[in-house]
Amino acid sequence: MSVPRASGYFRTRYERDFALLDTRTRKASLAAFAVMLVVYPFFAGPLAMDLANQVLLGAIGAIALMLLTGYAGQISLGHAGLLAAGAFATGILYKELGAPFWVTLPASAMVGAALGLIFGLPSLRLRGLYLAVSTLALHFIVIYLGSEYETKRGFSTGILIDPPGIGEWTVYDPRAWYFVLLIAAAATVLFSLNLLRSKTGRAWRAIHGREAVAGALGISVHRAKLTAFVVSSVLTSVAGCLFAYFRGFVSVEAFSLFLTIQYVAMVIIGGMGSILGAILGTVFVTLFPYFIEWLMDAFGLTDALSSVVFAVNYSAFGLAMVLFLVFEPQGLVGIWRRMQAWLLLWPFKQKPLAGAK
Amino acid sequence: MQLAVNIAVLASIYALISCGYVLIYRVSRVLSLAHGELMMLGAYGLYATASLFSGQPLVAVAAALALSLLVGVLVYVALMWRMTGESVLAAVLATIALGILLRGAMILMFGTQTRHPLEELGWTNASIEVGDDARISGVGLALVLATTVCYGLLFAFLRMTRWGIRMRAAGQNPLLAAQRGIGLHVIYALAWGLATLTGGLAGMLIASDAGLESTMVVIGLKAFPAALVGGLDSLAGALLGSLVIATAEVLMVYYVDPLLSDVVPFFILLAMLVVRPWGFFGSREELDRV
Amino acid sequence: MSDLLLRLEGLEVVYHRVITAVQGVSLDVPQGGIVALLGTNGAGKTTTLRAISGFIGLDDARVTEGAIHYRGERIENLAPHRITARGIALVPERSKVFENLTIAENLEAVVTRRGANRRQLVDSIYALFPALARLRAREAGYLSGGERQMLAIGSALACAPDLLLVDELSQGLAPVVVEELMDQILRVRVELGTTVLLVEQNAHIALEVADYGYVMENGRIVLDGTPERLRAHADIQEFYLGAGGGQRRRSYREVKQYRRSRRWYG
Repeated sequence: MSVPRASGYFRTRYERDFALLDTRTRKASLAAFAVMLVVYPFFAGPLAMDLANQVLLGAIGAIALMLLTGYAGQISLGHAGLLAAGAFATGILYKELGAPFWVTLPASAMVGAALGLIFGLPSLRLRGLYLAVSTLALHFIVIYLGSEYETKRGFSTGILIDPPGIGEWTVYDPRAWYFVLLIAAAATVLFSLNLLRSKTGRAWRAIHGREAVAGALGISVHRAKLTAFVVSSVLTSVAGCLFAYFRGFVSVEAFSLFLTIQYVAMVIIGGMGSILGAILGTVFVTLFPYFIEWLMDAFGLTDALSSVVFAVNYSAFGLAMVLFLVFEPQGLVGIWRRMQAWLLLWPFKQKPLAGAK
Repeated sequence: MQLAVNIAVLASIYALISCGYVLIYRVSRVLSLAHGELMMLGAYGLYATASLFSGQPLVAVAAALALSLLVGVLVYVALMWRMTGESVLAAVLATIALGILLRGAMILMFGTQTRHPLEELGWTNASIEVGDDARISGVGLALVLATTVCYGLLFAFLRMTRWGIRMRAAGQNPLLAAQRGIGLHVIYALAWGLATLTGGLAGMLIASDAGLESTMVVIGLKAFPAALVGGLDSLAGALLGSLVIATAEVLMVYYVDPLLSDVVPFFILLAMLVVRPWGFFGSREELDRV
Repeated sequence: MSDLLLRLEGLEVVYHRVITAVQGVSLDVPQGGIVALLGTNGAGKTTTLRAISGFIGLDDARVTEGAIHYRGERIENLAPHRITARGIALVPERSKVFENLTIAENLEAVVTRRGANRRQLVDSIYALFPALARLRAREAGYLSGGERQMLAIGSALACAPDLLLVDELSQGLAPVVVEELMDQILRVRVELGTTVLLVEQNAHIALEVADYGYVMENGRIVLDGTPERLRAHADIQEFYLGAGGGQRRRSYREVKQYRRSRRWYG
C-alpha cells in the first residue's frame, strides 16, 4: 500500500503491506489524535464547535467524492444533486409520513443507491468530459424535481425538519451533533480505507489506471464503475440526510452548482487519491471563508467591504483553486508528504523522481 | 407564430453562446465552464465603455468587442496556457475556478444591481411586428442577425483562411501541427479570443434585452447542452443543437410548465448522451479521446 | 564529403528520468546526403529522431547528455515549432496527416519557413507527387497508405526544410509503393536539394538510396559504413537483409554469437 515512513522498520509478511497502521509511532499519533478529537468539544467555543461540525459533515461527502473521482477515476459534477437527493428524501419522508430518524437514514441511503445506479449508467458508455457533463445534467434534474416538490406542496421557502432523536433524547445542541457526526465521519473513513484495500478498491484503481488493461486482467469494468458510483452516492446521500437534520431545513437553494464545485475543490485541493487528502481539503474549504473574513478584519476592511463579503469570498476561493491547480496539483497531501519526507530524511535531502507518488 | 419567433431568438442566443464552447473545445480539447462568466464580463464591458464613450454608441460597442477579444486572449495567456498537458479534469476545473473568480470580481467591481447597457448607449429596444400576430424586439432581431453573421464569418474563416485551416489542423493533431511549424499557443490564444468575443457579444445582446444581472451565467450554462447535442467539435452541429434545444424549451415552457425551462436542455442532453453521445455532427472518435 | 548539416554527439535520452532509451549516439548527416538509420523495433531509432525534431519533451523525456548540432547551433530541447523554423521537418511514423483536412488544406496549414516562396514550393510538391495534385480536394482520411505517405512527405517539404527526417517510410506499404516512394526521395534531393535522414527497419530498401548507413541496437550505434560495406557485413546480411535465411532457422546460439560479435563495434 504505502512506503513505510520510518527507518529500521521492515515488512516481513505480505499482510503487513495491507495493514492500516504499521509503525508504533503511527499508532501512538493516531491515538493521540483520537483523544484530541474526543476532548475537543469540552474546550471549543460555539464558533469552533460549529466549524468542527461543518468539517465533519463535509468530510463524509468529500470522502465519497474522493472514492469516485480520486480512486475510481470517474469524474462527477453531480455531487450537490446527490446531497440534495439524500436531504430531500429525508425531508419528504419526514414531512409526509412523519418518519423518524432511523427510517429516513436508510431510506436516504437507498435513494442514494438507486441514484448512484442512474448516475453510473452513463459511465458505462462515456468517459472523462462527457461523463462529467452527464452527471452535471443529472444534477439539474434532481434539483428540478426538488423545486417541483417544493412549489407543488407549498413549501416554496423550504422544508423544516425537527432534530432527530431516539425516544426522549434528541440531538440538538452542537456538542451532541459533534459526537454524532464524529462517529459518522470516523465510520466513513474506516469503511473507505477498508474498502480500498479490498478487491473492489483494487479494481477501482485498476480502471482508473487504464480501463482496457483492467478488463484484460479479468476485472469487470462495468461492475467496478457501477459499484464506485453506488458506494459513493450512498455515502453522499447519507451525508445529505445528516445535512438535512443538522440544518433542520431543506431547500433547493442550498444545493447549487457551487456546492458541487466546493466538494470538487475539497478533493482537488486536498490531493487526488488520498482519504487524508479529502479530509484536509474539507478543512481547507470549510475554514477558508472564515479565514478570509478574519483577514478582512485584520486589515480593517470589514466595514468597507461589508456589503460584498460574499463576493470577496467567492473570488478568493476561485483564486485559491486556480493557485492550487497551477502550482500544487498534488494538493495539500502533496505538501504533507513532502514535509514528512523532509522530516524523516533530515538532515539529508531527497529529490523525488518525477511521476513518483 | 409568436412561438416561432421566440424559438428563433432563443436558438440564436444558444447558438451564439455555444459556438464559443465549440471553438475552444475543437481547438484545445478543453471545455470552458467559465463561458457564462466571460459572457457576463463582455456585457459589463459594454456597460463600462457605454458610459466612457457616451454619445458614441458605435465606438462603445466596438471597444467592448475588442475588450472581449483581449480578455479571451488574456485568459489563455494567464491561466489556460499552464493547463496544457494536464488532465481533462484539471483543465475543466481551472475554468470553473476562473468562473468563480470572475463572478466574485464582477460583483466587487459592478455591484449586484441590474444594469441596462442599452439605455447607457442611448438606444431603445423597439418592438417590431412580424407578420400578423407576432412581435420581435429590436435586440431580438439583432441577436438573430448577429448569430447569422458570426456563424457565416466563422465558417469562412475556418474554411478559407490560412489561419482558420491551421486552427482546424491544430485541433485535430496538435503534435503534427507543432511539427509543421504552427505555434500552438498562438492558435489556442486565438481560439480563446474568438470564443470570448462571440460569447461577449451574446452577453451584450442579452443584457440589452433583459438587463444585466447574475442569471446570465445560467443562460451560458444552458447553451452548453446545445453545443454537446450538436457534437462538441462541430459548428454546424452547434447551430442544429441550439435549434433543437430552443424549440423543445419554448414548447415545454409554453405547454407544460415554466419551471421546466432550466432543465429541458439537460434532459435533451442526457437523452442524446444515451443514444448518440458524440452528437449530431460530432466525430465519433472524440469519445475515446477524452 | 561536403559540409555537415547535422551532427549528433554522444546523445543520451532518458525517459521519465529513469529509463535510458538512447546512449552515446553519434552520427553525421552531410549537406545534401541521404543517410539511413537502421535497426529493429526498440533499437532507439525513433527516439533519436524525436530528439532531433524536439518532440521528446512531450513524452517526458530529456536529452541528458551529448549535443545535437545543426548548422553549428545546438538545438536539443528546443520547442518543436522552433526546430521546424530552423529547417528540420519530420515525417512521423503514425498520424502523419491531418485527416479531416483535404490535401490542399494539409499543405496550406503548414507554416513555410521565412524566405521561401510558398506557391512555387507547393507547385513543385505537386510536380513531385502528381497523385496529390489529382486528389487535392480529397480529405486525407480517405487516402490510401501510399498516398498518405506522399502527402506526409509533401507537407513536410512544404515547410521548406533543409533536412527531412523520415520515420519508417516503408511501414505497412506494398513493395512497389515503397520503391516508388524511394525514387521520389531521390528526386527530392535532386530537385529541392533537401538532405534526408531515413529511419528504417527495412535495411534492404534503405541502403539502396542511402549514401551512408548507421545500425542501431539497444540504444547504441553498433555499426556504420557505406551501403556496400554494410551490405557485405555478415551480421547485417543475416539479421536485416534475411540473406541465408529461409532454409536455416536462427537458433538461440547463433543469436548469442551475434550478440557477442556485435560488442566489438559498440
